[in-house]
Amino acid sequence: MTEERLAERTYSLCPVCLRRVPAERAERDGAICLERTCGEHGFFSTPIWKNRLDFREWTKEAVRLGSRSNPDCPSSCGLCASHVRDTCCMLLEVTHECDLRSCRFCFADAHKKNDAPALKQVTGWLRRFVKPRQTFLQLSGGEPTTREDLPEIVADARRLGCKYIQLNTNGIRLANDLEYVRALADSGLSFVFLQFDGTDDETYRRLRGREMMGVKQRAIENCGRFNLGVTLVPTVVQGVNDDRLGDIVRFAVSLSPVVRGVHFQPVCYMGRIPGDISAYGRLTLDELMEGIYLQAEDILGGAELFPSCCDHPLCGFHGAFVVTDDGKLYALHREKPQNTDCCADAARRNREFIGSKWQRPPAGGCCCGDDETGPDGLADLGYFASRVKSHSFTISGMAFQDAGNMDLERLASCSLHVYRDGATVPFCARYLTPLGS
Amino acid sequence: MNPDDSGEPGGNLTCGRCQARLEPTKTQFSYLGHSFHTEVPACPVCGQVFISEELARGRMVEVETSLEDK
Repeated sequence: MTEERLAERTYSLCPVCLRRVPAERAERDGAICLERTCGEHGFFSTPIWKNRLDFREWTKEAVRLGSRSNPDCPSSCGLCASHVRDTCCMLLEVTHECDLRSCRFCFADAHKKNDAPALKQVTGWLRRFVKPRQTFLQLSGGEPTTREDLPEIVADARRLGCKYIQLNTNGIRLANDLEYVRALADSGLSFVFLQFDGTDDETYRRLRGREMMGVKQRAIENCGRFNLGVTLVPTVVQGVNDDRLGDIVRFAVSLSPVVRGVHFQPVCYMGRIPGDISAYGRLTLDELMEGIYLQAEDILGGAELFPSCCDHPLCGFHGAFVVTDDGKLYALHREKPQNTDCCADAARRNREFIGSKWQRPPAGGCCCGDDETGPDGLADLGYFASRVKSHSFTISGMAFQDAGNMDLERLASCSLHVYRDGATVPFCARYLTPLGS
Repeated sequence: MNPDDSGEPGGNLTCGRCQARLEPTKTQFSYLGHSFHTEVPACPVCGQVFISEELARGRMVEVETSLEDK
């Protein structure tokens, strides 16, 4: 018996004029493609899954768009009544200035100088959206550490009740200014999201226009001095660093417990992008996971990655682990979570999941378990309870959408939101960039 | 279980069924495919174990939560 040919209806955009058009996820040349036709610009087919994993199985818990699709989506975005997910993480741009500016890819297209909003204005924004004891705030930009008053922003966010405060950074300032790191930690920063594309300078030359491995190592070291957890965030580009996934995971694990995980992001085409994107292809989520499985097999030991529960399954994956004494990963979850679409509080659950894994326990040892390992290692309940807090580790990924592969069903399930001009907008809608004619 | 007021960790407990004094015993626990052990008071005759509220509401809940996906 042959399986029925895939044909799933959704909505998408014309990559050129961004007009909303009906679309279909359909099989073509051994891949699943997002296909649509714009009356003005013609037919487009973009691979979204290359059948390295079972597409139907992976996406079976997706919240389908059906009749609830808002005909004005995404042009009228803010979140509307048709949006499925609450905010898990709120991203706030605190500047458009950047101290790097040589990146080949930059979703924020950061380059402007001296345009940072005043502290008073940033605090005013925080007052409008922070929910005490709930909000997971990501400070982003531009490069947030170009602001001298970033520690004051962190302190204000903490005072207003943010539960988790994450800094999205290239690491240059953190590597070179220990007192600045201390001030951020003292102000209440929870953890750091560190741009980290590879473990060799060649990767950085190609993606960031300069050698940066030394910078990354010093930034991690300095965060470690103040008990700040660091999650490494590689932008993965075919032909540049998609063969370095295993190296990145091994490097990250070797720096546990300071490094709390790796969050892979396949390159997407928004903001600043090269003129000819065809040279960089489309790295799909299943290709990325296959690469991780193959390249990090020695350290993963057969552990599985699971679909995002908080966003659409095509938007992300995750795996949670404990780093063992001998530098291996012990998988905490062994079965795919079921019926996640019925979880009304998926955003809250995800927020707590991430926060508890990426935040280091208070310095000075854990108060709740046995810090010293015995002959039984993680099989000892007390040691496990202690180790799961001190040496937590995640491998996760998020595939952002651009004009070339925007699927409005995915957008409707987005829980990563950007606060801007008084509106809360899904990340991929905020940074959507037409891909030229 | 019949606790006494000795104040010792795990207590000077006796088994309600066998009246034998409980002894610290390495005991196996399983949850979601994971197995752990820890020492808890157990009856040397019938094997019944005593899980203190502190253990049940403390370390056990922590471990269970960490093994449950989001």
